[in-house]
Amino acid sequence: MIQLFWAELKRSWIQYIRYPIEAIGGILITTFFFYALFVGARYVAGPTSQFGERLDAVVVGYVLWTLVIFIVNDIALNLQVESQTGTLEQVLLSPFSAASIFLARACASFSLRFTSVITILLVILGLTGSRLQFPPSLILPFLSVVLGAYGFAFLLGSAALLFKRIQQLLVISQFGLLFLLATPTEEWQGSLKWLGQGLPMTAGAGLLRDVMVRETGLDGLRLLLSLMSGVVYFVLGMVAFRWSVGVAKDRGILGSQ
Amino acid sequence: MKTLEAEHLKKSYRQGGKEVQAVVDVSLTIAAGEVLAFLGPNGAGKTTTIKLIAGLIRPDAGTVRIVGRDPHREPQVLAQVGAVLEGNRNLYWRLTPLQNLEYFGVLRGLKAKTARQRGLELLETFGLMEKREVAVQTLSRGMQQKLAIATALIHRPALLLLDEPTLGLDVEAAQTVKSLVRQIAAAGQAILLTTHQLDIAEVLSDRVAVIQKGVIIAQAPTQEFIRHFAGTDCTYSIELEESLDGERAAQLQSWGVVVEDTHRLRFTGSSEQLYRVLERINPLPLLRIQREEADLTHIFLKLLKKGNQEG
Ligand SMILES: Nc1ncnc2c1ncn2[C@@H]1O[C@H](COP(=O)(O)OP(=O)(O)O)[C@@H](O)[C@H]1O
Ligand SMILES: [Mg+2]
Repeated sequence: MIQLFWAELKRSWIQYIRYPIEAIGGILITTFFFYALFVGARYVAGPTSQFGERLDAVVVGYVLWTLVIFIVNDIALNLQVESQTGTLEQVLLSPFSAASIFLARACASFSLRFTSVITILLVILGLTGSRLQFPPSLILPFLSVVLGAYGFAFLLGSAALLFKRIQQLLVISQFGLLFLLATPTEEWQGSLKWLGQGLPMTAGAGLLRDVMVRETGLDGLRLLLSLMSGVVYFVLGMVAFRWSVGVAKDRGILGSQ
Repeated sequence: MKTLEAEHLKKSYRQGGKEVQAVVDVSLTIAAGEVLAFLGPNGAGKTTTIKLIAGLIRPDAGTVRIVGRDPHREPQVLAQVGAVLEGNRNLYWRLTPLQNLEYFGVLRGLKAKTARQRGLELLETFGLMEKREVAVQTLSRGMQQKLAIATALIHRPALLLLDEPTLGLDVEAAQTVKSLVRQIAAAGQAILLTTHQLDIAEVLSDRVAVIQKGVIIAQAPTQEFIRHFAGTDCTYSIELEESLDGERAAQLQSWGVVVEDTHRLRFTGSSEQLYRVLERINPLPLLRIQREEADLTHIFLKLLKKGNQEG
Protein backbone atom coordinates (compact mmCIF):
# COMPACT_ATOMS: atom_id res chain seq x y z
CA MET A 1 0.00 0.00 0.00
CA ILE A 2 2.79 2.42 0.91
CA GLN A 3 4.59 1.45 -2.31
CA LEU A 4 1.42 2.29 -4.17
CA PHE A 5 1.21 5.67 -2.48
CA TRP A 6 4.79 6.56 -3.47
CA ALA A 7 4.19 5.42 -7.03
CA GLU A 8 1.07 7.57 -7.21
CA LEU A 9 2.82 10.54 -5.64
CA LYS A 10 5.59 10.28 -8.20
CA ARG A 11 3.11 9.94 -11.05
CA SER A 12 1.03 12.93 -9.91
CA TRP A 13 4.16 15.03 -9.43
CA ILE A 14 5.55 14.21 -12.87
CA GLN A 15 2.24 14.87 -14.57
CA TYR A 16 1.92 18.09 -12.59
CA ILE A 17 5.31 19.51 -13.61
CA ARG A 18 5.38 18.09 -17.14
CA TYR A 19 4.03 21.39 -18.40
CA PRO A 20 5.74 23.94 -16.12
CA ILE A 21 3.82 26.90 -17.58
CA GLU A 22 0.53 25.22 -16.74
CA ALA A 23 1.72 24.37 -13.21
CA ILE A 24 3.21 27.79 -12.47
CA GLY A 25 0.20 29.49 -14.00
CA GLY A 26 -2.06 27.53 -11.68
CA ILE A 27 -0.04 28.52 -8.62
CA LEU A 28 0.06 32.18 -9.64
CA ILE A 29 -3.67 32.28 -10.22
CA THR A 30 -4.35 30.65 -6.86
CA THR A 31 -1.94 33.03 -5.10
CA PHE A 32 -3.45 36.04 -6.77
CA PHE A 33 -6.94 34.84 -5.94
CA PHE A 34 -6.11 34.38 -2.26
CA TYR A 35 -4.28 37.67 -2.09
CA ALA A 36 -7.14 39.57 -3.67
CA LEU A 37 -9.48 37.89 -1.24
CA PHE A 38 -7.47 38.97 1.78
CA VAL A 39 -6.76 42.50 0.67
CA GLY A 40 -10.26 42.95 -0.69
CA ALA A 41 -11.78 41.75 2.55
CA ARG A 42 -9.66 44.16 4.53
CA TYR A 43 -10.42 47.06 2.25
CA VAL A 44 -14.14 46.52 2.36
CA ALA A 45 -14.18 46.08 6.10
CA GLY A 46 -11.72 48.83 6.99
CA PRO A 47 -8.66 48.36 9.19
CA THR A 48 -10.35 48.25 12.60
CA SER A 49 -13.71 46.97 11.58
CA GLN A 50 -15.59 44.56 13.77
CA PHE A 51 -16.23 42.66 10.55
CA GLY A 52 -12.53 41.79 10.42
CA GLU A 53 -13.11 38.61 12.31
CA ARG A 54 -16.07 37.69 10.21
CA LEU A 55 -14.09 38.21 7.00
CA ASP A 56 -11.15 36.18 8.20
CA ALA A 57 -13.64 33.43 8.82
CA VAL A 58 -14.89 33.71 5.28
CA VAL A 59 -11.33 33.54 4.04
CA VAL A 60 -10.72 30.32 5.97
CA GLY A 61 -13.80 28.98 4.19
CA TYR A 62 -12.46 30.02 0.81
CA VAL A 63 -9.07 28.44 1.36
CA LEU A 64 -10.71 25.21 2.42
CA TRP A 65 -12.98 25.48 -0.57
CA THR A 66 -10.11 25.62 -3.08
CA LEU A 67 -8.39 22.69 -1.40
CA VAL A 68 -11.55 20.61 -1.42
CA ILE A 69 -12.24 21.49 -5.06
CA PHE A 70 -8.75 20.29 -5.92
CA ILE A 71 -9.42 16.99 -4.18
CA VAL A 72 -12.82 16.52 -5.75
CA ASN A 73 -11.71 17.47 -9.25
CA ASP A 74 -8.56 15.38 -9.04
CA ILE A 75 -10.55 12.27 -8.31
CA ALA A 76 -13.77 12.79 -10.24
CA LEU A 77 -12.37 14.51 -13.33
CA ASN A 78 -9.44 12.11 -13.63
CA LEU A 79 -11.78 9.15 -13.43
CA GLN A 80 -13.77 10.60 -16.30
CA VAL A 81 -10.71 11.42 -18.40
CA GLU A 82 -8.98 8.10 -17.76
CA SER A 83 -12.11 6.18 -18.58
CA GLN A 84 -12.28 8.04 -21.90
CA THR A 85 -8.62 7.62 -22.84
CA GLY A 86 -8.64 4.04 -21.63
CA THR A 87 -5.87 4.09 -19.04
CA LEU A 88 -8.50 3.31 -16.40
CA GLU A 89 -8.82 -0.27 -17.62
CA GLN A 90 -5.06 -0.76 -17.43
CA VAL A 91 -5.06 0.68 -13.92
CA LEU A 92 -7.83 -1.65 -12.78
CA LEU A 93 -6.00 -4.64 -14.19
CA SER A 94 -4.26 -4.94 -10.88
CA PRO A 95 -4.23 -7.19 -7.85
CA PHE A 96 -5.05 -4.07 -5.79
CA SER A 97 -8.72 -3.17 -5.52
CA ALA A 98 -10.01 -0.12 -7.37
CA ALA A 99 -10.83 1.47 -4.02
CA SER A 100 -7.29 1.13 -2.66
CA ILE A 101 -5.70 2.38 -5.87
CA PHE A 102 -7.86 5.46 -5.98
CA LEU A 103 -7.44 6.06 -2.29
CA ALA A 104 -3.67 6.00 -2.77
CA ARG A 105 -4.17 8.42 -5.66
CA ALA A 106 -6.32 10.68 -3.57
CA CYS A 107 -3.74 10.75 -0.78
CA ALA A 108 -0.95 11.47 -3.24
CA SER A 109 -2.72 14.29 -5.01
CA PHE A 110 -3.83 15.68 -1.67
CA SER A 111 -0.26 15.78 -0.39
CA LEU A 112 0.73 17.76 -3.46
CA ARG A 113 -2.16 20.20 -3.33
CA PHE A 114 -1.96 20.61 0.42
CA THR A 115 1.70 21.52 0.24
CA SER A 116 1.14 24.07 -2.49
CA VAL A 117 -1.94 25.63 -0.90
CA ILE A 118 -0.25 25.91 2.49
CA THR A 119 2.83 27.48 0.92
CA ILE A 120 0.67 30.00 -0.89
CA LEU A 121 -1.29 30.71 2.25
CA LEU A 122 1.85 31.28 4.32
CA VAL A 123 3.26 33.66 1.71
CA ILE A 124 0.04 35.64 1.73
CA LEU A 125 -0.18 35.71 5.50
CA GLY A 126 3.35 37.08 5.52
CA LEU A 127 2.39 39.76 3.00
CA THR A 128 -0.81 40.83 4.72
CA GLY A 129 0.13 40.27 8.34
CA SER A 130 -3.12 38.49 9.09
CA ARG A 131 -3.81 37.24 12.59
CA LEU A 132 -4.90 33.75 11.55
CA GLN A 133 -3.89 31.09 14.06
CA PHE A 134 -2.46 27.65 13.30
CA PRO A 135 -2.48 25.77 16.60
CA PRO A 136 -2.11 21.95 16.57
CA SER A 137 -5.72 21.66 17.70
CA LEU A 138 -6.87 22.38 14.17
CA ILE A 139 -5.57 19.03 12.95
CA LEU A 140 -8.61 16.99 13.97
CA PRO A 141 -11.27 19.34 12.56
CA PHE A 142 -9.20 19.60 9.41
CA LEU A 143 -9.06 15.82 9.21
CA SER A 144 -12.84 15.66 9.46
CA VAL A 145 -13.20 18.10 6.57
CA VAL A 146 -10.73 16.14 4.45
CA LEU A 147 -12.54 12.87 5.15
CA GLY A 148 -15.82 14.49 4.14
CA ALA A 149 -14.17 15.87 1.00
CA TYR A 150 -12.92 12.41 0.05
CA GLY A 151 -16.39 11.02 0.58
CA PHE A 152 -17.85 13.72 -1.62
CA ALA A 153 -15.12 13.19 -4.24
CA PHE A 154 -15.74 9.45 -4.41
CA LEU A 155 -19.47 10.02 -4.74
CA LEU A 156 -18.84 12.26 -7.74
CA GLY A 157 -16.25 9.78 -9.01
CA SER A 158 -18.90 7.08 -8.93
CA ALA A 159 -21.14 9.32 -11.01
CA ALA A 160 -18.23 9.83 -13.44
CA LEU A 161 -17.83 6.07 -13.84
CA LEU A 162 -21.48 5.51 -14.58
CA PHE A 163 -22.48 8.63 -16.50
CA LYS A 164 -19.15 9.58 -18.13
CA ARG A 165 -19.75 13.30 -18.64
CA ILE A 166 -19.94 15.09 -15.35
CA GLN A 167 -18.48 18.56 -16.03
CA GLN A 168 -21.88 20.16 -15.43
CA LEU A 169 -22.25 18.27 -12.19
CA LEU A 170 -18.77 19.39 -11.13
CA VAL A 171 -19.53 23.05 -11.78
CA ILE A 172 -22.74 22.85 -9.78
CA SER A 173 -20.99 20.94 -7.02
CA GLN A 174 -18.42 23.73 -6.68
CA PHE A 175 -21.16 26.12 -5.63
CA GLY A 176 -22.55 23.49 -3.33
CA LEU A 177 -19.13 23.08 -1.77
CA LEU A 178 -18.74 26.83 -1.35
CA PHE A 179 -22.00 26.87 0.55
CA LEU A 180 -20.97 23.90 2.67
CA LEU A 181 -17.59 25.32 3.59
CA ALA A 182 -18.15 29.05 3.83
CA THR A 183 -21.53 29.17 5.55
CA PRO A 184 -21.16 29.66 9.30
CA THR A 185 -23.64 26.90 10.14
CA GLU A 186 -22.25 26.87 13.68
CA GLU A 187 -24.16 30.12 14.19
CA TRP A 188 -27.47 28.60 13.11
CA GLN A 189 -30.07 28.08 15.79
CA GLY A 190 -32.55 25.39 16.77
CA SER A 191 -33.21 22.41 14.54
CA LEU A 192 -31.31 24.11 11.70
CA LYS A 193 -28.24 23.73 13.86
CA TRP A 194 -28.53 19.95 13.71
CA LEU A 195 -29.03 20.06 9.99
CA GLY A 196 -25.85 22.15 9.74
CA GLN A 197 -23.92 19.57 11.71
CA GLY A 198 -25.19 16.79 9.49
CA LEU A 199 -24.16 18.30 6.15
CA PRO A 200 -20.86 17.05 4.75
CA MET A 201 -17.80 19.03 5.89
CA THR A 202 -19.68 21.95 7.44
CA ALA A 203 -19.18 20.93 11.05
CA GLY A 204 -15.43 20.60 10.62
CA ALA A 205 -15.23 23.86 8.71
CA GLY A 206 -17.05 25.58 11.57
CA LEU A 207 -14.59 24.21 14.10
CA LEU A 208 -11.69 25.43 11.97
CA ARG A 209 -13.14 28.91 12.01
CA ASP A 210 -13.44 28.64 15.79
CA VAL A 211 -9.82 27.66 16.19
CA MET A 212 -8.21 29.84 13.57
CA VAL A 213 -10.26 33.01 13.78
CA ARG A 214 -12.17 33.17 17.02
CA GLU A 215 -9.35 31.56 18.96
CA THR A 216 -11.85 29.67 21.05
CA GLY A 217 -11.02 26.20 22.25
CA LEU A 218 -12.44 23.05 20.68
CA ASP A 219 -15.86 21.91 21.77
CA GLY A 220 -15.44 18.19 22.49
CA LEU A 221 -18.93 17.18 21.47
CA ARG A 222 -18.88 19.15 18.24
CA LEU A 223 -15.45 17.73 17.40
CA LEU A 224 -16.74 14.21 17.93
CA LEU A 225 -19.78 14.91 15.79
CA SER A 226 -17.72 16.44 13.00
CA LEU A 227 -15.30 13.50 12.99
CA MET A 228 -18.21 11.08 12.89
CA SER A 229 -19.78 12.97 10.02
CA GLY A 230 -16.43 12.90 8.18
CA VAL A 231 -16.10 9.15 8.66
CA VAL A 232 -19.70 8.52 7.61
CA TYR A 233 -19.36 10.52 4.38
CA PHE A 234 -16.00 8.90 3.66
CA VAL A 235 -17.41 5.40 4.10
CA LEU A 236 -20.43 6.34 2.01
CA GLY A 237 -18.16 7.54 -0.79
CA MET A 238 -16.03 4.39 -0.73
CA VAL A 239 -19.06 2.10 -0.69
CA ALA A 240 -20.62 3.98 -3.61
CA PHE A 241 -17.34 3.80 -5.50
CA ARG A 242 -16.99 0.05 -5.04
CA TRP A 243 -20.56 -0.40 -6.11
CA SER A 244 -20.22 1.73 -9.22
CA VAL A 245 -17.03 -0.07 -10.30
CA GLY A 246 -19.08 -3.28 -10.08
CA VAL A 247 -21.93 -1.79 -12.11
CA ALA A 248 -19.49 -0.45 -14.71
CA LYS A 249 -17.99 -3.95 -15.03
CA ASP A 250 -21.48 -5.37 -15.47
CA ARG A 251 -22.34 -2.90 -18.20
CA GLY A 252 -18.90 -3.10 -19.79
CA ILE A 253 -18.40 0.66 -19.60
CA LEU A 254 -15.13 0.98 -17.70
CA GLY A 255 -13.42 1.75 -20.97
CA SER A 256 -13.95 4.21 -23.74
CA GLN A 257 -17.19 2.71 -25.11
CA MET B 1 -3.52 -27.09 -15.08
CA LYS B 2 -3.79 -24.78 -18.07
CA THR B 3 -2.75 -21.16 -17.80
CA LEU B 4 -6.15 -20.05 -19.04
CA GLU B 5 -9.40 -21.96 -18.88
CA ALA B 6 -12.50 -20.04 -19.91
CA GLU B 7 -15.76 -21.94 -20.02
CA HIS B 8 -19.05 -21.00 -21.66
CA LEU B 9 -18.60 -17.27 -21.30
CA LYS B 10 -21.65 -15.22 -22.09
CA LYS B 11 -22.18 -11.48 -22.12
CA SER B 12 -24.85 -9.23 -23.50
CA TYR B 13 -25.04 -5.46 -23.31
CA ARG B 14 -28.07 -3.29 -23.06
CA GLN B 15 -27.93 -0.42 -25.47
CA GLY B 16 -30.76 2.00 -26.03
CA GLY B 17 -33.29 -0.44 -24.59
CA LYS B 18 -32.33 -3.38 -26.79
CA GLU B 19 -30.02 -6.23 -26.03
CA VAL B 20 -26.74 -6.75 -27.89
CA GLN B 21 -25.39 -10.27 -27.55
CA ALA B 22 -21.66 -9.67 -27.69
CA VAL B 23 -20.47 -13.06 -26.45
CA VAL B 24 -22.86 -15.98 -26.65
CA ASP B 25 -20.75 -19.04 -25.90
CA VAL B 26 -16.98 -18.91 -25.71
CA SER B 27 -14.73 -21.57 -24.21
CA LEU B 28 -10.97 -21.34 -24.54
CA THR B 29 -7.93 -22.96 -22.99
CA ILE B 30 -4.31 -21.98 -23.37
CA ALA B 31 -1.31 -23.84 -21.97
CA ALA B 32 1.96 -22.23 -20.90
CA GLY B 33 4.12 -21.26 -23.86
CA GLU B 34 1.21 -21.55 -26.26
CA VAL B 35 -0.06 -18.82 -28.59
CA LEU B 36 -3.76 -18.90 -29.37
CA ALA B 37 -4.96 -16.69 -32.20
CA PHE B 38 -8.48 -15.55 -31.68
CA LEU B 39 -9.83 -14.73 -35.11
CA GLY B 40 -12.99 -13.04 -36.11
CA PRO B 41 -14.49 -10.17 -38.06
CA ASN B 42 -15.16 -6.79 -36.42
CA GLY B 43 -17.89 -6.90 -33.82
CA ALA B 44 -17.62 -10.67 -33.34
CA GLY B 45 -16.94 -10.36 -29.61
CA LYS B 46 -13.15 -10.61 -29.40
CA THR B 47 -12.53 -7.52 -27.27
CA THR B 48 -15.41 -8.40 -24.97
CA THR B 49 -13.94 -11.87 -24.45
CA ILE B 50 -10.51 -10.43 -23.65
CA LYS B 51 -12.02 -8.09 -21.07
CA LEU B 52 -14.11 -10.89 -19.55
CA ILE B 53 -10.88 -12.81 -19.07
CA ALA B 54 -9.05 -9.78 -17.66
CA GLY B 55 -11.76 -9.20 -15.06
CA LEU B 56 -12.73 -5.83 -16.59
CA ILE B 57 -16.19 -6.97 -17.65
CA ARG B 58 -18.31 -9.28 -15.56
CA PRO B 59 -19.73 -12.28 -17.47
CA ASP B 60 -23.47 -13.01 -17.41
CA ALA B 61 -22.57 -16.69 -17.23
CA GLY B 62 -19.53 -18.92 -17.50
CA THR B 63 -16.23 -19.06 -15.64
CA VAL B 64 -12.70 -17.81 -16.11
CA ARG B 65 -9.72 -19.56 -14.50
CA ILE B 66 -6.25 -18.13 -14.71
CA VAL B 67 -3.67 -20.54 -13.30
CA GLY B 68 -6.67 -22.16 -11.65
CA ARG B 69 -8.15 -19.05 -10.03
CA ASP B 70 -11.10 -16.84 -10.92
CA PRO B 71 -10.08 -13.19 -11.47
CA HIS B 72 -13.62 -12.04 -10.71
CA ARG B 73 -13.49 -13.64 -7.25
CA GLU B 74 -9.78 -13.43 -6.46
CA PRO B 75 -8.38 -10.25 -7.99
CA GLN B 76 -4.92 -11.19 -6.67
CA VAL B 77 -4.60 -13.52 -9.64
CA LEU B 78 -4.56 -10.46 -11.90
CA ALA B 79 -0.88 -10.29 -10.94
CA GLN B 80 -0.61 -13.13 -13.47
CA VAL B 81 -2.23 -11.19 -16.32
CA GLY B 82 -0.81 -8.59 -18.66
CA ALA B 83 -2.87 -6.98 -21.38
CA VAL B 84 -2.63 -4.58 -24.27
CA LEU B 85 -6.14 -3.43 -25.07
CA GLU B 86 -7.35 -2.20 -28.40
CA GLY B 87 -8.62 1.33 -28.89
CA ASN B 88 -7.26 2.30 -25.50
CA ARG B 89 -4.36 4.32 -24.36
CA ASN B 90 -2.51 1.67 -22.44
CA LEU B 91 0.07 4.15 -21.13
CA TYR B 92 0.25 7.55 -19.49
CA TRP B 93 1.22 9.91 -22.29
CA ARG B 94 2.76 12.52 -20.06
CA LEU B 95 5.15 10.02 -18.50
CA THR B 96 8.30 8.64 -20.08
CA PRO B 97 8.64 4.97 -21.04
CA LEU B 98 10.65 4.17 -17.93
CA GLN B 99 8.20 6.03 -15.66
CA ASN B 100 5.32 4.08 -17.17
CA LEU B 101 7.12 0.79 -16.63
CA GLU B 102 7.91 1.70 -13.02
CA TYR B 103 4.40 2.91 -12.26
CA PHE B 104 2.59 -0.05 -13.74
CA GLY B 105 5.13 -2.41 -12.18
CA VAL B 106 4.19 -1.20 -8.70
CA LEU B 107 0.51 -1.25 -9.61
CA ARG B 108 0.88 -4.93 -10.53
CA GLY B 109 2.46 -5.64 -7.18
CA LEU B 110 6.22 -5.21 -7.68
CA LYS B 111 8.55 -3.25 -5.42
CA ALA B 112 9.58 0.08 -6.93
CA LYS B 113 13.20 -1.02 -7.18
CA THR B 114 12.38 -4.28 -8.94
CA ALA B 115 10.04 -2.46 -11.30
CA ARG B 116 12.76 0.00 -12.28
CA GLN B 117 15.34 -2.70 -12.84
CA ARG B 118 13.02 -4.84 -14.96
CA GLY B 119 11.83 -1.74 -16.78
CA LEU B 120 15.39 -1.01 -17.87
CA GLU B 121 15.86 -4.61 -18.98
CA LEU B 122 12.66 -4.49 -21.02
CA LEU B 123 13.59 -1.17 -22.64
CA GLU B 124 16.86 -2.80 -23.65
CA THR B 125 15.20 -5.92 -25.12
CA PHE B 126 12.54 -3.88 -26.90
CA GLY B 127 15.07 -1.46 -28.35
CA LEU B 128 13.58 1.59 -26.63
CA MET B 129 16.58 2.49 -24.50
CA GLU B 130 17.37 5.79 -26.21
CA LYS B 131 13.75 6.90 -25.89
CA ARG B 132 13.50 6.25 -22.16
CA GLU B 133 13.54 9.92 -21.19
CA VAL B 134 10.96 11.36 -23.61
CA ALA B 135 7.23 11.63 -23.05
CA VAL B 136 5.26 8.73 -24.48
CA GLN B 137 3.02 11.05 -26.48
CA THR B 138 5.97 12.01 -28.69
CA LEU B 139 6.75 8.39 -29.62
CA SER B 140 5.61 6.88 -32.91
CA ARG B 141 2.56 4.62 -32.89
CA GLY B 142 4.78 1.58 -33.35
CA MET B 143 7.00 2.49 -30.42
CA GLN B 144 3.98 3.16 -28.23
CA GLN B 145 2.69 -0.28 -29.06
CA LYS B 146 6.02 -1.91 -28.30
CA LEU B 147 6.15 -0.06 -25.00
CA ALA B 148 2.58 -1.09 -24.20
CA ILE B 149 3.61 -4.71 -24.68
CA ALA B 150 6.73 -4.21 -22.56
CA THR B 151 4.59 -2.64 -19.83
CA ALA B 152 2.21 -5.59 -19.96
CA LEU B 153 5.20 -7.84 -19.29
CA ILE B 154 6.77 -5.91 -16.41
CA HIS B 155 5.37 -8.24 -13.74
CA ARG B 156 6.17 -11.38 -15.76
CA PRO B 157 2.56 -12.53 -16.02
CA ALA B 158 1.70 -16.13 -16.89
CA LEU B 159 -0.90 -14.93 -19.38
CA LEU B 160 -0.53 -12.15 -21.90
CA LEU B 161 -3.62 -10.79 -23.65
CA LEU B 162 -3.01 -8.87 -26.86
CA ASP B 163 -6.03 -7.27 -28.51
CA GLU B 164 -5.27 -6.49 -32.16
CA PRO B 165 -1.58 -5.87 -31.42
CA THR B 166 -0.67 -4.87 -34.98
CA LEU B 167 -3.73 -2.80 -35.80
CA GLY B 168 -2.80 0.59 -37.19
CA LEU B 169 0.91 -0.14 -37.35
CA ASP B 170 2.98 0.28 -40.49
CA VAL B 171 4.46 -2.84 -42.06
CA GLU B 172 7.82 -2.51 -40.38
CA ALA B 173 6.41 -1.91 -36.90
CA ALA B 174 3.98 -4.80 -37.36
CA GLN B 175 6.95 -7.00 -38.24
CA THR B 176 8.76 -5.99 -35.05
CA VAL B 177 5.70 -6.68 -32.95
CA LYS B 178 5.35 -10.10 -34.59
CA SER B 179 8.89 -11.09 -33.77
CA LEU B 180 8.45 -9.82 -30.20
CA VAL B 181 5.39 -12.02 -29.75
CA ARG B 182 7.35 -15.03 -30.93
CA GLN B 183 10.12 -14.21 -28.49
CA ILE B 184 7.71 -13.85 -25.57
CA ALA B 185 5.99 -17.17 -26.30
CA ALA B 186 9.37 -18.87 -26.51
CA ALA B 187 10.02 -17.61 -22.97
CA GLY B 188 7.06 -19.73 -21.78
CA GLN B 189 4.21 -17.25 -21.41
CA ALA B 190 0.74 -18.14 -22.62
CA ILE B 191 -0.53 -15.64 -25.16
CA LEU B 192 -4.04 -14.89 -26.34
CA LEU B 193 -3.93 -12.74 -29.41
CA THR B 194 -6.96 -11.38 -31.17
CA THR B 195 -6.79 -10.29 -34.75
CA HIS B 196 -8.80 -10.05 -37.87
CA GLN B 197 -5.60 -10.25 -39.90
CA LEU B 198 -5.08 -13.85 -40.87
CA ASP B 199 -1.46 -13.71 -41.87
CA ILE B 200 -0.62 -12.74 -38.31
CA ALA B 201 -2.46 -15.69 -36.86
CA GLU B 202 -0.84 -17.96 -39.39
CA VAL B 203 2.75 -17.09 -38.58
CA LEU B 204 2.37 -16.55 -34.85
CA SER B 205 -0.08 -19.02 -33.44
CA ASP B 206 0.06 -22.62 -32.30
CA ARG B 207 -3.71 -22.80 -32.30
CA VAL B 208 -6.55 -20.80 -33.74
CA ALA B 209 -10.11 -20.22 -32.56
CA VAL B 210 -12.56 -18.54 -34.90
CA ILE B 211 -15.37 -16.50 -33.41
CA GLN B 212 -18.40 -15.21 -35.21
CA LYS B 213 -21.36 -13.39 -33.67
CA GLY B 214 -20.17 -14.35 -30.21
CA VAL B 215 -19.83 -18.07 -30.90
CA ILE B 216 -16.66 -20.06 -31.49
CA ILE B 217 -17.23 -21.82 -34.78
CA ALA B 218 -13.88 -23.60 -35.09
CA GLN B 219 -10.90 -24.29 -32.88
CA ALA B 220 -7.81 -26.37 -33.73
CA PRO B 221 -4.02 -26.38 -33.91
CA THR B 222 -3.07 -23.94 -36.66
CA GLN B 223 -1.45 -26.50 -38.98
CA GLU B 224 -4.22 -29.05 -38.50
CA PHE B 225 -6.77 -26.33 -39.01
CA ILE B 226 -5.22 -25.38 -42.29
CA ARG B 227 -5.04 -29.01 -43.42
CA HIS B 228 -8.55 -29.87 -42.32
CA PHE B 229 -10.45 -26.86 -43.50
CA ALA B 230 -8.55 -26.45 -46.69
CA GLY B 231 -10.81 -29.27 -47.91
CA THR B 232 -10.21 -30.96 -51.25
CA ASP B 233 -9.79 -27.75 -53.20
CA CYS B 234 -6.19 -26.76 -53.69
CA THR B 235 -4.37 -24.24 -55.73
CA TYR B 236 -1.90 -25.59 -58.29
CA SER B 237 0.61 -23.76 -60.36
CA ILE B 238 1.57 -25.39 -63.63
CA GLU B 239 4.55 -24.50 -65.78
CA LEU B 240 4.90 -25.68 -69.38
CA GLU B 241 8.00 -26.20 -71.46
CA GLU B 242 6.28 -25.14 -74.70
CA SER B 243 3.86 -22.31 -75.14
CA LEU B 244 0.12 -22.84 -75.00
CA ASP B 245 -1.89 -22.24 -78.20
CA GLY B 246 -4.82 -19.81 -78.25
CA GLU B 247 -7.55 -22.40 -78.64
CA ARG B 248 -6.41 -24.44 -75.62
CA ALA B 249 -5.90 -21.29 -73.56
CA ALA B 250 -9.44 -20.11 -74.28
CA GLN B 251 -10.95 -23.41 -73.25
CA LEU B 252 -8.86 -23.67 -70.08
CA GLN B 253 -9.88 -20.15 -69.15
CA SER B 254 -13.52 -21.08 -69.55
CA TRP B 255 -12.90 -23.78 -66.87
CA GLY B 256 -11.59 -21.17 -64.48
CA VAL B 257 -7.89 -21.68 -65.11
CA VAL B 258 -5.88 -18.49 -64.81
CA VAL B 259 -3.52 -18.23 -67.75
CA GLU B 260 -0.74 -16.05 -66.40
CA ASP B 261 1.26 -16.22 -69.60
CA THR B 262 1.72 -18.75 -72.38
CA HIS B 263 3.94 -20.93 -70.17
CA ARG B 264 2.31 -20.50 -66.81
CA LEU B 265 -1.11 -21.52 -65.48
CA ARG B 266 -2.78 -21.32 -62.12
CA PHE B 267 -5.75 -23.39 -61.08
CA THR B 268 -7.86 -23.89 -57.97
CA GLY B 269 -10.08 -26.97 -57.71
CA SER B 270 -10.35 -30.64 -56.81
CA SER B 271 -7.81 -33.21 -58.00
CA GLU B 272 -10.31 -34.66 -60.53
CA GLN B 273 -10.62 -31.24 -62.09
CA LEU B 274 -6.84 -31.00 -62.09
CA TYR B 275 -6.59 -34.16 -64.17
CA ARG B 276 -9.14 -32.81 -66.61
CA VAL B 277 -6.97 -29.72 -67.02
CA LEU B 278 -3.87 -31.86 -67.51
CA GLU B 279 -5.73 -33.98 -70.12
CA ARG B 280 -6.45 -30.84 -72.09
CA ILE B 281 -2.83 -29.77 -71.96
CA ASN B 282 -1.68 -33.21 -73.14
CA PRO B 283 0.66 -33.70 -75.04
CA LEU B 284 2.50 -30.42 -74.28
CA PRO B 285 5.56 -31.23 -72.16
CA LEU B 286 5.28 -30.17 -68.50
CA LEU B 287 8.12 -28.41 -66.74
CA ARG B 288 6.76 -28.25 -63.22
CA ILE B 289 3.54 -28.72 -61.30
CA GLN B 290 3.15 -27.69 -57.68
CA ARG B 291 0.44 -27.60 -55.07
CA GLU B 292 0.46 -24.39 -53.06
CA GLU B 293 0.08 -24.45 -49.27
CA ALA B 294 -3.45 -23.51 -48.26
CA ASP B 295 -3.55 -20.35 -46.21
CA LEU B 296 -5.81 -19.17 -43.45
CA THR B 297 -7.40 -16.39 -45.44
CA HIS B 298 -8.95 -18.89 -47.75
CA ILE B 299 -10.24 -21.07 -44.91
CA PHE B 300 -11.44 -18.17 -42.88
CA LEU B 301 -13.57 -16.75 -45.66
CA LYS B 302 -15.02 -20.15 -46.33
CA LEU B 303 -15.89 -20.68 -42.67
CA LEU B 304 -17.55 -17.31 -42.39
CA LYS B 305 -19.58 -17.96 -45.49
CA LYS B 306 -20.72 -21.25 -44.02
CA GLY B 307 -21.50 -19.63 -40.66
CA ASN B 308 -23.53 -16.93 -42.38
CA GLN B 309 -25.58 -19.46 -44.31
CA GLU B 310 -26.38 -21.42 -41.17
CA GLY B 311 -27.03 -18.39 -38.96
N1 LIG C 1 -20.14 -1.44 -23.77
C1 LIG C 1 -20.90 -1.86 -24.79
N2 LIG C 1 -22.20 -1.53 -24.85
C2 LIG C 1 -22.98 -1.98 -25.87
N3 LIG C 1 -22.53 -2.74 -26.88
C3 LIG C 1 -21.24 -3.10 -26.90
C4 LIG C 1 -20.35 -2.68 -25.86
N4 LIG C 1 -19.12 -3.19 -26.14
C5 LIG C 1 -19.25 -3.90 -27.29
N5 LIG C 1 -20.51 -3.85 -27.75
C6 LIG C 1 -21.04 -4.56 -28.94
O1 LIG C 1 -20.76 -5.94 -28.77
C7 LIG C 1 -20.34 -6.53 -29.98
C8 LIG C 1 -18.98 -7.17 -29.84
O2 LIG C 1 -18.00 -6.16 -29.68
P1 LIG C 1 -16.47 -6.45 -29.49
O3 LIG C 1 -16.30 -7.43 -28.39
O4 LIG C 1 -15.80 -5.14 -29.33
O5 LIG C 1 -16.07 -7.13 -30.89
P2 LIG C 1 -14.65 -7.26 -31.61
O6 LIG C 1 -13.58 -6.93 -30.65
O7 LIG C 1 -14.61 -8.67 -32.08
O8 LIG C 1 -14.68 -6.30 -32.78
C9 LIG C 1 -20.41 -5.44 -31.03
O9 LIG C 1 -21.66 -5.56 -31.67
C10 LIG C 1 -20.34 -4.17 -30.22
O10 LIG C 1 -21.02 -3.13 -30.87
MG1 LIG D 1 -12.13 -5.50 -30.85
